[in-house]
Amino acid sequence: MVWGPLIAWYLFLAGASAGAFLTAAFVEKKYPDSVKMRVAGRLIAPIFLGIGLIMLMIDAEAGLHNPLRFFFLVMNPGSVMTLGVYFICVFMPVALAEAVLELMHRRVPSWLTWVGIVFAFAVAAYTGFLLGVVQTFPLWNNAILPILFVVSALSAGLAATSMVGLLVDRTRFEHMWLVKKTHVILSAIELVVLFTMLVIVSSGSLEGAASVASLVTGQYAPAFWGGLVLLGLVAPFMIEGYPVFITKKVETSMTSLVVSVIGEAGVLVGGFLLRLLVIMAALPVAFL
Amino acid sequence: MTRYGMLINTKKCVGCFACRLACQMRNHLEPEETFIKFHTLEQGEYPSVYAEVVPTQCMHCVDAPCQSVCPTKATYTTDSGVVLVDESRCIGCKYCMAACPYGARVQIEATGVIEKCRFCWDGEDVGNPPSCVGTCISGARTFGDLDDPGSDISREIVSLNARPIAGNLTDSKIFYVR
Repeated sequence: MVWGPLIAWYLFLAGASAGAFLTAAFVEKKYPDSVKMRVAGRLIAPIFLGIGLIMLMIDAEAGLHNPLRFFFLVMNPGSVMTLGVYFICVFMPVALAEAVLELMHRRVPSWLTWVGIVFAFAVAAYTGFLLGVVQTFPLWNNAILPILFVVSALSAGLAATSMVGLLVDRTRFEHMWLVKKTHVILSAIELVVLFTMLVIVSSGSLEGAASVASLVTGQYAPAFWGGLVLLGLVAPFMIEGYPVFITKKVETSMTSLVVSVIGEAGVLVGGFLLRLLVIMAALPVAFL
Repeated sequence: MTRYGMLINTKKCVGCFACRLACQMRNHLEPEETFIKFHTLEQGEYPSVYAEVVPTQCMHCVDAPCQSVCPTKATYTTDSGVVLVDESRCIGCKYCMAACPYGARVQIEATGVIEKCRFCWDGEDVGNPPSCVGTCISGARTFGDLDDPGSDISREIVSLNARPIAGNLTDSKIFYVR
């Protein structure tokens, strides 16, 4: 296996960072009074990405020993990794600047947020394209993976920010129907996109079929079904979907708080497991 | 123009691993770091079956996938068609490892750099011959200029009908007789 948990952490944190930034922008636009949640999103974005970048540098051992070599990363625009560096070079300063402005209680200029929105999407998408262009692994080399990663990134960023909203500003959070609805819908879309990808990859090649089999019925099946599908997608869909689409009531009970926290945590665990499983389960195309 | 390539005749290979060891000595590799990998395949049909030994290594592809994904341009191709890694630029991100269809890339434990067969490049030119070719006890390996129609390798490719290990994957400069 080429990459391992460190890179899975990075892909997850970079995606969740972009998602948190977008959530903050969304909250600012639709719920200007929800200050705590907006600030939470704006702080999560640079912190998550910062931790992710540290993971990345630890994994890139030769660069870790000679940090100046990291400057060469901008040299090959034909490589998705270099493109990702460009995106992060814009997104990270923007996310940091917005976090600092929020902490200083200064107004964040909307043009800055718009720049951040564009590059947040770019960062979320690049983590998918990074794996997507590698022809050696059919589980990665398909058009659906980048879409799956973007949806999962939005969902994870939303979950991380919602978790803070839920814990520190619950009364307001429970009234943010648009945020809750978006979250439920994202889980449903992710489930469909994941299913689509596995079917297409499985039918495309022997190695793809073997990779999918190792996820669905093989050595990764417990993590795939229990962690990713059940805890990461189905449970949050039901937990969030029930009050939003069925009872349509504002929840105030302690039980619902605990259940909601489990739902949000599930999305985060699922988001990490998605990257980890995609990295670990990929089998290379046989050449002999 | 010189364009270096290699021919590996698996019909002559006895699977003694001398090439792998010579390569490790020449390139100062640890025992678990190997630029040459051995695959043993079941061939033929009962009752005439045999184990075919196939050594593989960097195929020095034209438009190498490892080179196109390398974010720091540490991987490059010389004018003579040899794909090399500039150690002083490699950050060890392992993107080349993922992109190589032949699994030819190896992480060097001491430095973290991702390396591979370099035709025993000494800084200016290839080894004469590379150590795997020089050490082969059965003459299974031939090295030379693919652009010179009179070279041993060009003649052997024609006379033995040698082909890349997997023609559809990349434009390889290692040719196999199987």
